[in-house]
Amino acid sequence: MTTTEKATIIGIGNPLLTDDAVGIATVRRLQETLGGRDDIVLQELYTGGIRLMEAMAGFDRAWVVDAMVTGTVPPGTLRRFSPADFVATRHAASSHDTDLATALETARLLGIRLPREITIWGVEAAEVGQFGETLTPALTMAVPQVIAGILGELSAVGRSSCV
Amino acid sequence: MERISIDPITRLEGHGRIEIFLDDAGNVANAYFQVPELRGFEQFCIGRLAEEMPIITNRICGVCPEAHHMASVKALDDLFAVEPPPAARKIRELLYMAFFVTDHTTHFYALGGPDFIVGPDAPPGERNILGVARKVGLDIARQVIGCRSRNHHIIQLLSGRGIHPVAGVPGGWSRQVTSAEQAEIVEAARQNVEFALFTLQLFADIVLANPVYRELVTSDLYLHRTYSMGTVDGERRGNFYDGLVRVVDPDGNELVTYPPSSYMDHIAERVEPWTYLKFPYLKNVGWKGFVDGPESGVYTATPLSRLNVADGMATPLAQEHFDRLFATFGSTKNDKGRYQPVHHRLATHWARLVELLYAAERMLELAEDPEIISPHVRTIPDPRGIKGSGIGSVEAPRGTLTHHYVTDKRGVLQQVNLIVGTTNNYAPMAMSVKRAAEGLIKGGVVIEEGLLNRIEMAFRLYDPCLSCATHALPGQMPFRLLIRDPQGTILRELGRKP
Repeated sequence: MTTTEKATIIGIGNPLLTDDAVGIATVRRLQETLGGRDDIVLQELYTGGIRLMEAMAGFDRAWVVDAMVTGTVPPGTLRRFSPADFVATRHAASSHDTDLATALETARLLGIRLPREITIWGVEAAEVGQFGETLTPALTMAVPQVIAGILGELSAVGRSSCV
Repeated sequence: MERISIDPITRLEGHGRIEIFLDDAGNVANAYFQVPELRGFEQFCIGRLAEEMPIITNRICGVCPEAHHMASVKALDDLFAVEPPPAARKIRELLYMAFFVTDHTTHFYALGGPDFIVGPDAPPGERNILGVARKVGLDIARQVIGCRSRNHHIIQLLSGRGIHPVAGVPGGWSRQVTSAEQAEIVEAARQNVEFALFTLQLFADIVLANPVYRELVTSDLYLHRTYSMGTVDGERRGNFYDGLVRVVDPDGNELVTYPPSSYMDHIAERVEPWTYLKFPYLKNVGWKGFVDGPESGVYTATPLSRLNVADGMATPLAQEHFDRLFATFGSTKNDKGRYQPVHHRLATHWARLVELLYAAERMLELAEDPEIISPHVRTIPDPRGIKGSGIGSVEAPRGTLTHHYVTDKRGVLQQVNLIVGTTNNYAPMAMSVKRAAEGLIKGGVVIEEGLLNRIEMAFRLYDPCLSCATHALPGQMPFRLLIRDPQGTILRELGRKP
């Protein structure tokens, strides 16, 4: 049975720093589609690290959406990570406490129940140093792609676990 | 001239970069701590209604939203010329104490404390909360997570939202506390007091009882005799939520005690060409460069400076630890009954724990106050009373935080000025980095990992939050150390791999 499975989708970033808000914008948009679901919790976070670990604790699956600035790919480019990868999104770590890998390992050591699947979507940002509440065009176009990706994975998960 | 670049600074909120320039003899010529710019905050705010500011400014930073929210609502109280009822003041301070407990706890166990608990020469990958857990036991990490969890819950309960409080309004607070909530908060506060005492004991056992660490804390490596700043109550004891700003000179003599509304008479800002961030200094002493002493207007606003300006702590257990800290440094009381300031900057970590205990005790006092459940939590402001200017100030964990708004008669913002906690300490941070570098890099000596970390420790002790700036992720880039010749050619490249 999968009816008791719980998933969370977490957008991280600063909603006032232009493209840094891409994760926040994504979960706000997902609210329209998934807002009524009891088995899915949408969350907004501003910092990663321990806070992000705490936000994922107790869920079976977690998706995280965050901006990234690699400077090597065009703005709007999507990249999908698992925590085992080298995660290069902006807020996966909180430089105020620790990185995600350390936070997750701490949780495991302490017996905190973590999702068995954690997926991190990074979206290459164009502008993260300017105050503003609007995404730049490339990022605006990237949001539906992230949403489609997450919704696809959500339903794929649903199908496979019903087998 | 050789150039050493340390980038990124791990475990800092926001991206900073340290550049150390060596002279031909291989000694430190100069050290720069650079902070990238965030553009357009004031323009973002201008034209909005002032009452939006507690919600906007609490999003400037994911680490200290509560501090911005409080400074902002206090600026609005001033702008609307309205006095919050006693219960509202107490609820605000109660929430603020829960915030201080969780913030200081996180800093000590995850950010600054690992330098001591795991050790200054341990590999950087172990100097984190996991390293702390391995060194002193899983139960401690469990308590840290538990402390965060219960205080985040209280903050959410009181403020209506977990990460970014929204309940502060001009003239008060938008929700009252029920008696069931009060009981829960009292219990959380009791646990906080126990946890703070436990943490101070841990500090005593691991740091003070270890001659090597004790020597590090009390050595001249991070010694700076600057002015100290902090907020004090009517009896000149430390307070985080409200009071007068007091400044004492390096010998502990009072320079001035002023209401936050007159900050512009006392603080000026210095612009340097190599960084975007301004350097605040004491206007009436003057800017003399990045130097110590009573002639230099450089001041610090940190947990340690807050203890330095206070006649004492307002809660009994914190007062005992306050006395113990000053006694350890051989500080005696002056004729005004106040301890001579401690200038050993690594003592800031200890001072932070004394503050942790104070915040926990104060939280308990406020939670047990019968008035905390009063339904009278708001005085409705009269829009005709808008003054056109409002200034609010609190002690943020990282230093005195001031919000200043100028509006038209309708309350539409015309100007916004913020002096954030970390900014106060920008000049001292730059000085501490240089001092550490001078002490540890001599005659071109090879830089070891532990030495690099001690340079980082120099600014980490200030708990700087350069938030909203680019986030430097540990691992995103390898930790790099570049040594360049006078032409800028890289002679050696050392580094930490991700």
